[in-house]
Amino acid sequence: MEFPAALFPSYFCAGPPREEGGPAPAAGWGEHGQVLEGGPGRRQVQPAFVPRRGATGERWEAADSAAVPVLLPRAGCWIPSPAPQDILYRSSLCRKLRIGKSGATLDFARQLGHFFVDHPEDAFGSLGRLLHKNFYLGNAKLKRPARNSTIRMTALLEDIDRLEARRGCPRQHLASRLRWFSHLCRDWLFEVPLGLLADCLHEELTQQWSNLLFDDSLTGGALAWLPPEDGGTTRGCLVYPGGQAMNHLYFQDVVLEGLPHTRGSPVQFELSGRIRQVAAARVDGQDFVGVRSDYHCGVWRVPGKTGAAPAPLQVIRTDVPASCLTVSPHLPGELSVCTQSGTVYLWSVETGLQKLRHDSQTMFFRDHSPWRWSDFTAHPRVLSCADRTGLQCLDARAPKRCHFDLFKVGEEAGCQQGERVVLPMYLGRAHPSQYLVTTQFSVYVLDERLPLVPVLKWPHMMKAPPLFAHLMPGKPERSHRVLLGASRTQELLLLQYRGGSQSACQLAGTPQKLHNIAGCLQHLPTQLPHRHHLLQQRLSAPAAGLAAMLQEDGPHKSMLIFQLSEAGDVFCQRLTHKAAQAPASPSRDEATTAPGSSPLFEAPASSPHGLGTVPSPAAALRYRRWLRALFRAWREPARHTWPPSLSQRRLFTRRDLQGPAGPSSLQRQMRQRLRQTMQEGGRIQCWEPLALQPPPLPQTRELAGVPDPLSTRLTAAWAGDWEQWWEERTSFSVAQRQQALREQRRRQKRARGRRSLSASFTSSLTYQSELSELSDEGSPPAGSPPVHRPPPSPAPDEALLSSQSFRCRGIPKERRKTLRDYLSVWAEGPCEPPEPPGSQASQLCIPSSQSQLSSASQPRRKRPRMGF
Amino acid sequence: MDSFLEEDAEAVVVDGKRRRKRRRTPAAQAALHASLHLPFLPPPPVSSNEHKLNFKKSKEACLSYIQDALLQKQWKRAAEFLTCYVESLEKDYSRERIGASEMIWRIGTEILWHHSQSSVKEFSCFMEQMKTLGVKRYLKVCLEHVFHLLCNGQIDEAYQNLSLAESWRFGEQTAIQDKEMKLIQAYRGLLDYCSWSKQKSILLEHGEDEFSDLAVEQEMHSYFRKAAVNLKEIIKIPGVWDVFVKCYVDLLEFYGDHNEARQVLNEYAYNSKFPANPNAHVYLYQFLKRQGESKKSLISALKILHDIVPSHELMINFNTMLQKSKKRRKRRLGLEVIFAGLDYAGWKENEKAWSCLARQVKQIVISEKHLDWIKQEWNSRKDWWPAFHFSRYLAKRNWQENKNLSYEKALVAGILLGRDCKYFKYVSHQGSKAQLKRFRMLKKFVTRHNAVYLRISGPPVSSLPP
Repeated sequence: MEFPAALFPSYFCAGPPREEGGPAPAAGWGEHGQVLEGGPGRRQVQPAFVPRRGATGERWEAADSAAVPVLLPRAGCWIPSPAPQDILYRSSLCRKLRIGKSGATLDFARQLGHFFVDHPEDAFGSLGRLLHKNFYLGNAKLKRPARNSTIRMTALLEDIDRLEARRGCPRQHLASRLRWFSHLCRDWLFEVPLGLLADCLHEELTQQWSNLLFDDSLTGGALAWLPPEDGGTTRGCLVYPGGQAMNHLYFQDVVLEGLPHTRGSPVQFELSGRIRQVAAARVDGQDFVGVRSDYHCGVWRVPGKTGAAPAPLQVIRTDVPASCLTVSPHLPGELSVCTQSGTVYLWSVETGLQKLRHDSQTMFFRDHSPWRWSDFTAHPRVLSCADRTGLQCLDARAPKRCHFDLFKVGEEAGCQQGERVVLPMYLGRAHPSQYLVTTQFSVYVLDERLPLVPVLKWPHMMKAPPLFAHLMPGKPERSHRVLLGASRTQELLLLQYRGGSQSACQLAGTPQKLHNIAGCLQHLPTQLPHRHHLLQQRLSAPAAGLAAMLQEDGPHKSMLIFQLSEAGDVFCQRLTHKAAQAPASPSRDEATTAPGSSPLFEAPASSPHGLGTVPSPAAALRYRRWLRALFRAWREPARHTWPPSLSQRRLFTRRDLQGPAGPSSLQRQMRQRLRQTMQEGGRIQCWEPLALQPPPLPQTRELAGVPDPLSTRLTAAWAGDWEQWWEERTSFSVAQRQQALREQRRRQKRARGRRSLSASFTSSLTYQSELSELSDEGSPPAGSPPVHRPPPSPAPDEALLSSQSFRCRGIPKERRKTLRDYLSVWAEGPCEPPEPPGSQASQLCIPSSQSQLSSASQPRRKRPRMGF
Repeated sequence: MDSFLEEDAEAVVVDGKRRRKRRRTPAAQAALHASLHLPFLPPPPVSSNEHKLNFKKSKEACLSYIQDALLQKQWKRAAEFLTCYVESLEKDYSRERIGASEMIWRIGTEILWHHSQSSVKEFSCFMEQMKTLGVKRYLKVCLEHVFHLLCNGQIDEAYQNLSLAESWRFGEQTAIQDKEMKLIQAYRGLLDYCSWSKQKSILLEHGEDEFSDLAVEQEMHSYFRKAAVNLKEIIKIPGVWDVFVKCYVDLLEFYGDHNEARQVLNEYAYNSKFPANPNAHVYLYQFLKRQGESKKSLISALKILHDIVPSHELMINFNTMLQKSKKRRKRRLGLEVIFAGLDYAGWKENEKAWSCLARQVKQIVISEKHLDWIKQEWNSRKDWWPAFHFSRYLAKRNWQENKNLSYEKALVAGILLGRDCKYFKYVSHQGSKAQLKRFRMLKKFVTRHNAVYLRISGPPVSSLPP
């Protein structure tokens, strides 16, 4: 390969960058850089000069007014990543704070609060259980004996509410009660020590925030285009991640006639991590696809023949997240891997991993970013490795000894202060020794043969750092096309450059902005506001990858550009090449008017914004189809993906919620019977109407008092829960048991005392168990020994959640339990999906979580049946 | 009032950010910002009273519209917005790196380059206005203006502008202005050189006319003096000055100052403050060749070029030069050079290089001396050259595209990898199918010397000749 006979003049200084950094919105315009004698007119009398920037380039024009979707959205909801307003503290106070200090204030307290509310079991689990008797949530005043050991929380909550309302007020004082409470509880109330928890949360928050500002894990992009081997350009294979967690790898055949469309169903692989990067290179007619997730990297081989299935070759696991995976364009099955610990490996499918370098420090000056990158160079054994401060090339055969600096953030390349390497890329397909380096401000083209001095530099003026780049090489000495893509803003920029072997590198044409995914929103049919919002959110998800291909069909050249978003959408756009371009500036007529009356500004204001402002019918159809699939996908998974919630309808039938609309037929029947009996002056022997009589159960008659252990054991054995009986005997402390017994006896006494008709009638008699209970208790008025219900019937409950208050409100017994369960589920937060009701005899579908079982129902189940 | 306050507050924010960046920030503080100094931070969440547009905001919005239009090549639209943006000069207190006046210069220039209805005159007029807009930028704008004129072939106007700019003085110069001034002088020197070479060609063409000769010659010498002074200055400063060095050396050579020329070239090539520019070595080599220097000095110049750029196209010349040498060491170096060159992806299909290697390998095999040279070179390459150069896929492709190349490569592959190697097998098979005599000979040769392959790829044997 030749080296240009003369390069553009430039100064060369070593050392840190001198130019002050900062946003430079128009820095890329209006400069030729330097000029060089040469070009076509060498023979002429006049020397001809060519500029470094400003030469004419190819003209590419968008074929449609916006990008169109290639794939239909899959079922599975995309969960948007947090937005700044989720993390940042915002209030008027914060604005004032910000002025003085940093740019962003993380709303730490709110997030910690969210944690306590969302995960109370993790935050206060055990102590909460221990102490729940000592906290009172009711409105009523506490009675004397309870007051000694119980705190009334209502007042505290009121204080907190007040505090929330006064948030941002500079003169706020903590309520003394709150201070007292927090002073009292801070050290021991939390399951996880508060300091530790806060540290972790703060770390997570800062990481989320810095990811929000700039997420470098996506560097390189997760989209690849595999062109067919036979040179035909109408088909190809698109490799992209998908699925809810972006952990499915798809190889999809795409046909490129008109609007690209898929063909057949994709080959799919499920991976065990979110796919961050998909890199591909073609060696010897085969495509090698490297896939990087945080802790795993894998490589697939795709034979060049159309329709051949991709085959996974190897997977490696890293301890530290990998930050880079590139595939060698020279040797089959060779890749380079970098991890965030600063290690660079050459990974060969045949021979395994070879560690080339390990350095946790950055190369040229200190920078705290653990991001590392590595790529191949013109020499198959020489790899470049990069961090934020620059690039070095090292020989894999002797990595310690043989290395040279390729690019340094410094005065050598004319960098600005604060400039950092964002993405290096080997441009081997355009020129074997060229290299692209992008920073957040500029884009550089380097030549390995002349290290440290960029052969081309241009400030790209993009709003977010370009994390993705794609090269479409042109013929030798013609323009090469480079696409730059940013993640957060979805920007796409098309640059052209040429030269490198016979002539020096030049930037050709003007940079061109391409459509992004979000831009198609205006072309979609009008939606309902909330759908529009969702759609907007989805379409403006950060970009996650970029791929492009050149399609040459005789004289017609066109370019297809695919863009992947974090939501898993792949959109594409076509640019067509316009061959005829008006000759450049030299031949412009000079006979024009004075600058004052310039014709520049005479053009009407309604200059076209794009080519066509209306999408073509095919594109419109594509949009509609995509939308339909999207809304279907949104509807479907809603049931599964929302946090488990309880519908009231399942706890209470609608009739129950309607309240006392009218007495039920049963009640009416009973009332009638009662009235009749009263008129007759008789008494009711048995309450059940004959039709509702439950099947006779084996009724155990037990003597009052504590039964002897043998008979209880036998009873238990008979009932089938002998094991439980043994457990109770061994584990249950005697004191607790006695307590429980006493409680039960008391309740039973009370129940017997209250066995008045009116009390019984307040309940709506719907359930057999209730009926049977009533009938059992009500049958012998006096004298006869009490009849006990069979074991499976619900046991009377203990005062867990102040059952008295329930009773006062006239909530029936079995409802009380339901309600308690309901409340406790809410208190604990949604944990497990609802369990089907087991041995508990209530026929309602009560969602009960594990923790609830352990706290509430187990003691109940353990309680021995006593025949009082 | 409200909006004023708001604006002030924001200005302070910007300032605060700046100051913080200049200082070294503690890690915790740094974590709040991106790990990267980003050009544009995402906008902070909008609070309710920020919907009002203030001057700064509308200025930014206008700029973003212009930017958008420029990136979509809508020059007219951009021009319209720019007329609005000019108002931002009214209140240009910002301490941003690129102020409003510079932006107007840059954007205006870009628009005038591409606008279908702009003229050179208008462009010059705009440039003149821009030169007066900022003192610090005067030289840069001048330089860019000159570049534009040069690219449009207006050499004389460019020269005038350069002279004007050179005579410009304003207080103390900053370091950047100093550099720009040097560049202006250098470009003037370059243009002087162009005039000089024009005069020279006139002189050479009309050698017999004596009267005009004298005047032309004097003019030429004056151009030489002017050019030499300016060019000499800039090439002392570290940088890439290929054009200037070439011109200066040409001038010196014409006037017979070979020592000075040699010194300049040596300085340009070997001064460690200069970047490792391959062209510097190439110029030196070409100069030495023109001077008819000895083989030894040519080889030493190329050896250094080989050390910095093993894939330079001159390496083939270097190899042929070394192969012809009588000295064993040089021939050995020649083998190293050609092997090293073929390591590079850019040389993969370089027929000349492969034939050089094939010739030398063949020589060594026939003479059966120095097989250890091949062995040593092969040792560090045997694990990857087969896949890189001698795969079956490449054999197919090379055969289809370039038969000569596949012949040379097959010879090398046959010797290095034996006759069972895929590349050799495929090519010799195709060759015999096509009934090419050359390939039959090749097959015979490789079969006869198949033992060499075993010796090359085997473990080091002490019986090999030293």
